[in-house]
Amino acid sequence: MKQIFLSAILGLLAFPAIAHDFTQGSIYLDHPMIEEAPPNAPVLGGYLSIQNMGEADDRLIAIESTAAEKVEMHNSTVTDGIARMQPMTEGLSIPAGETVWLDNGMHAMFIKPARRHVVGDEVPATLVFENAGRIDVTFKVEERTPGAGASHEGHGG
Amino acid sequence: MAGKITLRNLRIFLWVLVAVAAGGAAFLAYGPRVSPADAGDAIYAKPFTLVNQAGAQVTQADFMGTPSAYFYGFTHCPDVCPTALSEMSALLDALGQDADKLQVVFVSVDPERDTPEIMADYVDYFDPRIAALTGDLDQITTMAQDRYIFFEKVPMDGGDYTMEHQASIQLVTADGRFFGTLAAEEGFDVRLAKIRRLIEES
Repeated sequence: MKQIFLSAILGLLAFPAIAHDFTQGSIYLDHPMIEEAPPNAPVLGGYLSIQNMGEADDRLIAIESTAAEKVEMHNSTVTDGIARMQPMTEGLSIPAGETVWLDNGMHAMFIKPARRHVVGDEVPATLVFENAGRIDVTFKVEERTPGAGASHEGHGG
Repeated sequence: MAGKITLRNLRIFLWVLVAVAAGGAAFLAYGPRVSPADAGDAIYAKPFTLVNQAGAQVTQADFMGTPSAYFYGFTHCPDVCPTALSEMSALLDALGQDADKLQVVFVSVDPERDTPEIMADYVDYFDPRIAALTGDLDQITTMAQDRYIFFEKVPMDGGDYTMEHQASIQLVTADGRFFGTLAAEEGFDVRLAKIRRLIEES
């Protein structure tokens, strides 16, 4: 009994250590996350980093998810004190050998989420690349960190 | 010989520059100061009638008498607005006992979608101490224009729209004068220091 309990504890401890990343072909996706939002938030912002380990450029052209009415790629900017948001109609270029962060204003906007998501939830989505094709990922819902601004700690933004 | 003179002249010239710079710095530090709080009109005393998150009608008079921090945003905003609200909540926490000396006001620039009920649930998540205002689009427009706040509706594909809006938080004295802003790129400590100064000088 004690042993079962102990292994359960160890299992829980080990859980956060499980890498939260996805690889397909030469595309490596790290730490897809959504910032927890108010219960009635009509939109959620999703973020991740995308590494192109290959020798050919690629492009993220769409993000799909059954958890929301639709997902759009947007770029939020603050220029001259004005906050603006533009759809990334051309997608996001991922040059060969480079890492690009969907971050620092750029985000996957989950529009009209089907239900409320709280910290710890996992939101399934599919990233569609021009070359690498469709890659299934899960966005983990995490606590919003005040002070981080539009960028997220550790992402170098 | 000629070279020496040039060097000497250069030296004098540089010292003159130093003196001018020191004088300029002294002027900036100790010279007459036109702070926005002294110079500006009480733009936040200009009239408006809006609705708070409890559905009650409020006017500019309800927000006079206490220093305030105003943020203009909307709930269909995934990034800038929730970040601003969670930072304001963190700043209220950091003020500790002085938190009641600052009122935080979130004004919707998207009153078409942001009903009082939506504003209530939205703001409650971040901090129930934040007052959330919405109302008639004309009233919001007048209120914003009187306070030199920019916002604009921008259509998007598929019939949807987004809002462009002033990103900075506006600090306002107890008597309704513009005091300064909190900008997105400033660190938490800078913001907190500005708010403490607002409270002290108000």
